[in-house]
Amino acid sequence: MAEDNAVVLRLEAVQKQYESADRDPVPVLKGITLTVRHGDSIAIVGPSGSGKSTLLNILGSLDSPTRGSIQLDGQELAHLSEQELASIRNKKIGFIFQSHHLLPQCSVLENVLVPTLAETGKATTGAVERAKRLLDRVGLGHRLTHRPAQLSGGECQRAAVVRALINQPSLILADEPTGALDHSTATSLANLLVELNRDDRVTLIVVTHSVELASQMGATHQLQDGAFTSTDA
Amino acid sequence: MTSWSLVINSFRFYARSHIGTLLGVAVGAMVLVGALLVGESVRSSLRYMAEARIGKVELALPSNDRLFRAELAAQLQDDLGVDTAALLQLPGVAKRPSGESRANNVIVMGADATFWKLARTQPEFAEIPEDSIVINERLAKQLNVEVGNFINLRVHNPSQLSRDAPMAPVEDSTASLAQMEILAIVSDAEFGRFSLQASQIPPYNAFVPLSQLQDAIEKPGMANLMLVGHATKPSEDPLGQAQAALARHWQLADTQAQLLQLPGDKGIELRSPRVFIDPPLAKAALAVDPNATEVLTYFVNKIQIGERSTPYSMASALADFEPGTVWLNQWAAEDLQAKVGDDVKLSYYTVGTMRQLEELTGQFKVGGIIAMDDPRSDITLMPDFPGMTDSENCADWDTGFPMDLDAIRDKDEDYWDTYKGTPKAYISLDTGQEIWSNRFGSLTSIRYAQNGPEALEALGKQLLSKLAPNDTGLTFQAARSKADASVNNAMDFGELFMYFSFFLIAAAVMLISLLFQFTMEKRTRETGTLLAVGIPAKRVRRMLLLEGGLIAIVGCIVGAFAGTFFAKALLNALSTNWKDAVASATLTYHSSGTALATGMSMGFFVALGTIWWALSKLRKQTARELLAGEPPQQIITKNTAKRLVIIGVALLLAALGWVGDALANGGQISPTAFFGAGAMLLLSGMTLASARLKHLAHVSVLTQAQSLSLGGLGQRNAARRSRRSMATIGMLACGSFMIASIGVFQKNAKTNADQPTSGTGGFELMGEASIALVHDMNNPTNREDFYGLEEEIMKDVSFVPFRLRDGDHANCLNLNLAQEPRLLGVRPKTLAGKFSFIDTMDGLEPGDNPWSILESARDTLKLPANVVPAIADESVMVYALSGNDIMNPKKLGDTIDHTDEHGNTFKIQFVGQIDDSIMQGNLIIPESDFIKLFPSESGYRVFLVDNPGERTQEVSDELNVALADHGFEWVSTTQRLGELNAVHNTYLQTFQVLGGLGLLIGSLGLGVVVLRNVQERKSELALLRAIGFEKSAIKRFVLFEYLDLLIGGLLIGTLAAALAVLPNMLSPTADVPYALLGATLGGVLLLAGAWTWIATNISLRSNLLEGFSGD
Repeated sequence: MAEDNAVVLRLEAVQKQYESADRDPVPVLKGITLTVRHGDSIAIVGPSGSGKSTLLNILGSLDSPTRGSIQLDGQELAHLSEQELASIRNKKIGFIFQSHHLLPQCSVLENVLVPTLAETGKATTGAVERAKRLLDRVGLGHRLTHRPAQLSGGECQRAAVVRALINQPSLILADEPTGALDHSTATSLANLLVELNRDDRVTLIVVTHSVELASQMGATHQLQDGAFTSTDA
Repeated sequence: MTSWSLVINSFRFYARSHIGTLLGVAVGAMVLVGALLVGESVRSSLRYMAEARIGKVELALPSNDRLFRAELAAQLQDDLGVDTAALLQLPGVAKRPSGESRANNVIVMGADATFWKLARTQPEFAEIPEDSIVINERLAKQLNVEVGNFINLRVHNPSQLSRDAPMAPVEDSTASLAQMEILAIVSDAEFGRFSLQASQIPPYNAFVPLSQLQDAIEKPGMANLMLVGHATKPSEDPLGQAQAALARHWQLADTQAQLLQLPGDKGIELRSPRVFIDPPLAKAALAVDPNATEVLTYFVNKIQIGERSTPYSMASALADFEPGTVWLNQWAAEDLQAKVGDDVKLSYYTVGTMRQLEELTGQFKVGGIIAMDDPRSDITLMPDFPGMTDSENCADWDTGFPMDLDAIRDKDEDYWDTYKGTPKAYISLDTGQEIWSNRFGSLTSIRYAQNGPEALEALGKQLLSKLAPNDTGLTFQAARSKADASVNNAMDFGELFMYFSFFLIAAAVMLISLLFQFTMEKRTRETGTLLAVGIPAKRVRRMLLLEGGLIAIVGCIVGAFAGTFFAKALLNALSTNWKDAVASATLTYHSSGTALATGMSMGFFVALGTIWWALSKLRKQTARELLAGEPPQQIITKNTAKRLVIIGVALLLAALGWVGDALANGGQISPTAFFGAGAMLLLSGMTLASARLKHLAHVSVLTQAQSLSLGGLGQRNAARRSRRSMATIGMLACGSFMIASIGVFQKNAKTNADQPTSGTGGFELMGEASIALVHDMNNPTNREDFYGLEEEIMKDVSFVPFRLRDGDHANCLNLNLAQEPRLLGVRPKTLAGKFSFIDTMDGLEPGDNPWSILESARDTLKLPANVVPAIADESVMVYALSGNDIMNPKKLGDTIDHTDEHGNTFKIQFVGQIDDSIMQGNLIIPESDFIKLFPSESGYRVFLVDNPGERTQEVSDELNVALADHGFEWVSTTQRLGELNAVHNTYLQTFQVLGGLGLLIGSLGLGVVVLRNVQERKSELALLRAIGFEKSAIKRFVLFEYLDLLIGGLLIGTLAAALAVLPNMLSPTADVPYALLGATLGGVLLLAGAWTWIATNISLRSNLLEGFSGD
């Protein structure tokens, strides 16, 4: 476990623009600089089209910046191969999406274990035990062999949270994690995320429209037209 | 939890989604397994036929007209320890005594009990009793007879003296066996199919007692075919062992030679029932004793001094006499009042081709007179001329030459009574050989100055020691190996049906690709998630490929099961509608684990390859795109469409310019060029269609809001998934192009049939005899005198005769690979202007008559003595002699091995290639080479007849009646060509039917595309519904959108095909199967339209407004 105050993620003047065949490139991010330390919980808010999801994809190495530097645990991501990036995503980053993206053909437990297949293609006994423990902790201990179709939206999203945690990542990225949930379920999930951050010191970056969720984070960054306009600590 | 369990889970979970893909795989596997099973069934059927016709025979020694002692077989049996049999095998004609049915080309075999032991299954009888006959099922069917009925046979009577030879008598060349009672009708396994020639059509076989047939042809104890069975102990060189055993046991009687003690101790003489001593035999005889006396005795028409002449006499050539001189015996000298120094003329006949006689005269001076009691005046110098030796009177002579019987005087008869054939004139051996030598030999006897039985025996042994059996035509053939080779290298129907099923396989691949891709598209977010959680892209693709592999395995199992039914259906078609493709061979279904495994493996790899290709698109999509469910980004610029338009228009202009230029100049362009132009038009159409879709997908159309219409929206929709749309258009266009254009390549035998350059050569009739004709059929006197043909009917009828060396038919009617093809010997000038030459070998000068290269090639190309030039049909070279090695056809300059009458291997070199004709199945070589290679093949057995077209039937009837005893089969050349074309035409028909089936399945792909596209666009359609569109209007909107693709594809393909085959369509004699083409293309249009309609209805059945709620 990294020490508090250790820098987990550092962004320096990150820019992103999308190419178009017949038009000028469309800039989406215009020089984002951000430092995230171990145990931080950060909300990124902003209107639609402000570049939130693009930023999150870049943070999660699902996309690459056009310019600028991004370092995770001191490692510059821009220099890594696709395979190395996949390994980084697998070991150091946990994703939570607006839609849970659970595999419908797998049980809850199996869904949680999917990230553990990346290395050897086989989940270890330790991983299975950890998955069960985590699922139990989020209230899904009795749903281990159920398929996603048999769960409620909130349960699916909690399973997705556990999947994000299974490899004990140093960073959790959540993209509108409560966006598809009703208010009560959203509140419950937000509490879970806060609890994980507080108790397990999991570093958390959340992109959200939800003021309520954002307010539960340690810091909020306002994104407007591809640039941070303000930060509330 | 493992990757594999995840794959299994996914396979199970998406099983229903995979059904479509699985069916696509099953169709592909079904076609491949079915094709291979057909190939295996054809091969197994051929193998069964080969086993049936060869039985337990390992080796065969066919000697045709050169007879050997039947006892030799028994001697070899003891020596080799294997079963052997001696047969007398003669061509013949069979008919019922009532005359109600007959069969030509019957193989009559004199056989004893030893023969039946070599059959796979022993018949119920052990031996055929006297006056009984056993026939095979095919002959029984042809004659419509059963056991207990009677048959009359007429067989070729082999003559030791070739009927082409000088002094060969004009005696009846046939013998008959009448009122033979049918003892049994033997099945294929009981040797009913026995034959040494590779063919799927059984011969007409008739078996009679060996001794009875020997008696009928007056050759007791003789045979002309020996069979050697399997050895119990496998031998490394059975052929060598048998040939060595033959050399140990053969005797002079097997060499067509005799050693005789001459009366009065005049020495021992070597002579031959063939009259002329075979050159190898003569060479061996002289090697025994170089001082032996060589004798050549010939028949002269006239010995003339001034006005005085002596008719029809024997003259001998001996080494004792000076060249330029003739010595007369006392009798002749007195008859001619000759004295030494007088000028003497000797007139004699030489025999040319078709027994054309030429009377030549030699000038000599009388060198001396030989007293009648001089030892040189020797009655034994005359060989045993079959038509003369036993005659009582000169008037009874049958010399084979026209004789003026009035010229024979009483004194000549007296001479014959007293001195028989004692020569009246003697010339030098050199001169004699110069003027009387012929292809059969240059000596009639060789004399040794030894006497007594011991010397006789010793000379016999010495002579045999200097000879090898193959010098006299006794050469074993590896009958079993040849049969195996003919089957193993036969045309591979499995491969053929795979080609025919190309569109079926293509349709299956398209279905697999489309359906698997659709399944994957539904799972893009899942794939994105796997990537997002850090599972390497390679592993993700591998897992999906494994899942695809499971689909492929299950699909292949289903396909293999269906494939067996497909194979049975194809075999059923080959026995009925497509029977011409296999020349009506009886084919039975044979299951084969290898074929199943190979077909399934091929199906599996095709399916897996297609799935891999479909998955390769995942590489182009990032995890982010996949998670967002976005399609891969296509960068389409203005220039993309422009470039395609330029290419499309250029192709269009090139195609039109090509054709237009030819039409404007009134010139001819070849059908191949038209086909090329058509193919160019097809590419042009597809490129322009692609350009249109690219244009519609480009942002520029977004600025044309003022021209927005519902129809335009429909077109834009087609452009959204342009690859899917192009796959649909491409499949339909290519399929309809191939099917429509291939159809017109059907061959019609009647097209220009009266033209000499056509496949009939302009001939009206073609005939093949069991028993050869030796006389010139173009000579009215000959055909009337020798064959009784009515000159009134035969007026203006001409014949082109061919010598025939029987062998395997090298044409598409023979499913086996011809091992030793039939050879036809012809005089090139008789074929001048006939048939069309495709090409001749480089370096040859075909001139006005390309057939002349047969004679000029030897000098021009400096061919070695053992190489014979040949001309063959294109299909013979490309297909019939290539068998399953179709990618390596015979080319001009290539050679194949053949065996001559003496068992020596020679090479046949292809020097010319003609367009497909009635000559298919044969290799045509010069007659001059033919008679050197096969001196015993006398006469002509194949004829092409040129007659006034309106009298064909009359001429045919006359030939049938007059030449019935020769076992002629006369067919019209158009019928013959039609039979040969039927194979080609049936192949095309098969391709069309299977291709059409492929297109129909391909059209199903269109339905799938509609279903998928509508599914993806549900929310858009819901919007249309929400803003007030009627549901029926939306259906029409969707339906017309896809009908555009369907009609577009078919139209591009059909128009391009029409251009490709324009010359054929415009030809007045074209035989375009418009009905079949219309039905195929119409069927595709209707069915694809129906799929589209059904898919549209299914997709729009539910409440469209639900589309607003997302997926």
